[in-house]
Amino acid sequence: MVNFRGIIGFFSGIKVDIKKNPYLYALGIPGFLFFAFFSYLPMFGHVLAFKKYRVSDGIWGSEWVGLDNFKFFFSGHDWINVTRNTLLLNTLFLFMTTVIAIAIAVFLNEIRSEVFKKLAQSVIFLPYFISWMVISLMVFALLNFDAGIINRTLVSLGMDKVEWYQDASKWPAIMSIVYVWKFAGYNSIIYLAAITGMPQEVYESAKVDGATRFQMIIRITLPMLAPTVITLVLLGIGRIFFGDFGMFYGIIGDNPALYSTTDVIDTFAYRSLRQLGNFSMSSAIVLYQSMMGLVTIGLFNFIVKKINKDYSLF
Amino acid sequence: MSNLALNQRTKIRASSSDTILKAFIYISIVIVALLCFIPFWIVFINSFASEGAIMQDGFTLIPSEFSIDAYKFILRGAQVWRSYGITIFVTVVGTALAVMVSTMLAYLIASPKVKYRNVIGFMTYFTMIFGSGLVGFYIMIASWLNLKDNILAMILPYVVNPFYVFILVSFFRDLPQELSESAMIDGANDMITFFKIALPVSKPVIATVSLFYALVYWNDWWLALLFIDDYQKQPLQMMIRKLMANVNMAQYVGGTTNYGAVIPTMGIQLAIVCITIGPIILLYPFVQKYFVKGIMIGSVKG
Repeated sequence: MVNFRGIIGFFSGIKVDIKKNPYLYALGIPGFLFFAFFSYLPMFGHVLAFKKYRVSDGIWGSEWVGLDNFKFFFSGHDWINVTRNTLLLNTLFLFMTTVIAIAIAVFLNEIRSEVFKKLAQSVIFLPYFISWMVISLMVFALLNFDAGIINRTLVSLGMDKVEWYQDASKWPAIMSIVYVWKFAGYNSIIYLAAITGMPQEVYESAKVDGATRFQMIIRITLPMLAPTVITLVLLGIGRIFFGDFGMFYGIIGDNPALYSTTDVIDTFAYRSLRQLGNFSMSSAIVLYQSMMGLVTIGLFNFIVKKINKDYSLF
Repeated sequence: MSNLALNQRTKIRASSSDTILKAFIYISIVIVALLCFIPFWIVFINSFASEGAIMQDGFTLIPSEFSIDAYKFILRGAQVWRSYGITIFVTVVGTALAVMVSTMLAYLIASPKVKYRNVIGFMTYFTMIFGSGLVGFYIMIASWLNLKDNILAMILPYVVNPFYVFILVSFFRDLPQELSESAMIDGANDMITFFKIALPVSKPVIATVSLFYALVYWNDWWLALLFIDDYQKQPLQMMIRKLMANVNMAQYVGGTTNYGAVIPTMGIQLAIVCITIGPIILLYPFVQKYFVKGIMIGSVKG
């Protein structure tokens, strides 16, 4: 049952609102146009998931094939592999970044010397500012078979060199470290802001009662950080089906030796599109991803709302 | 009396536990900071290493032999200047456009007079949780807008970023209403109020959002990867990618194959990275506080 009256009422309501505030709406027009062209109209591309796309026929002219693209996608093993990699790696990233960012924030908060604190924070925040392309070269300088610092160090310690770029089993850990390296500083700023905003009286009365700094961290700082942590983790879970394309494609690139642990939905969809030219297949993958993402964020928001209304995202 | 002694004892115990904790904290932070810094150092210092030193010792913390051949080789060629120009153009034009469009949209969403502001806000937010999908996006830009190999393809898609729009929205919401009301009484309409009153008082947050957008544009290679096949129009980030892949380096960098000496392959890759992140590192001390502020606004209100 579609509530037509409600929809009509909504549109006439918007019309009245535009008439009342023409200048304000005019300010929004460029933004609407950009949204239309780069976010909303491209959503029609999802239609291709149900078609056999031919460039000459265009999106609308191409032949409908029902669920064939999905059947093809789900009949192979790739979808299991990329889904597992996406979920597993994102979970690792989220968990490790959260723990380390909280630790950095709590530690920085304990440091009394302003100069040291500022300097340390600046250095830890710095990796956020560089692209995955640059990071990719840094990883290469560390892990390169011949010239890499890590292999050179292993050799000087009398150990064997490791073929890092051939051994897929090591990459979940490597990617997690790289992710933490780039984002822990950024996240620690959020947590540090939350800590700084806490009421100081609690700490003072704890001090009067003879609490150690360690006790204060465990009993006061961490519990009070909980709402911020939960919000950030929820945001992370909401994006758990979306791999960081720049990161994976930048660092791994087209290296099939590492696909088994590092191929994520996004890189898989990209290869289907750009290298195989299979638009329909790529559409089916991306639609699957978007739907799963939507379901995840809806589900988690629902659960969180049940537990505590204040934590829900919308 | 005994109570006092007990109190004294706890205090002493507390202070010795605090000292251990403090030492642990300082050491941990120093280690973390070093880990963050070392990759930068490796790239920087080895870009000045001679190719022979890299071949012999690998990448090191202090190269055995220095040389500026890599820089000479890159800077003599035409590609780095072209790519630098593209990156600067995309960053400057993109940031200006993005900030203008985002600020105007944010002002609309923040205005309490607009009845449907929450609907518009949700439409903005929705693009963050339900992607348009790679294929639709690609067809839109490559076929419908016909922007393949067009510099605009690296600018337009990033003009409205929901996250930065919301930073602006939360700032505009906190502006005192009297400001715009008194302007309205003086006969100004909403647009004049926006340009003459709201914008001037929003300079700090606009600076913050500009820097975020500038960083996005400077660091992006995803759009170039998708839409720019013509290497003459590729930004610096793509140049790194090209140099890491096995291209014909002499021809790519210099537009010539007549390079007599041995090409410092490794050094060139490191040097192009330094050239790319150089401006960010140089500006970093001055702009860092704006980013910190932006992250705080975004996390508290968002």
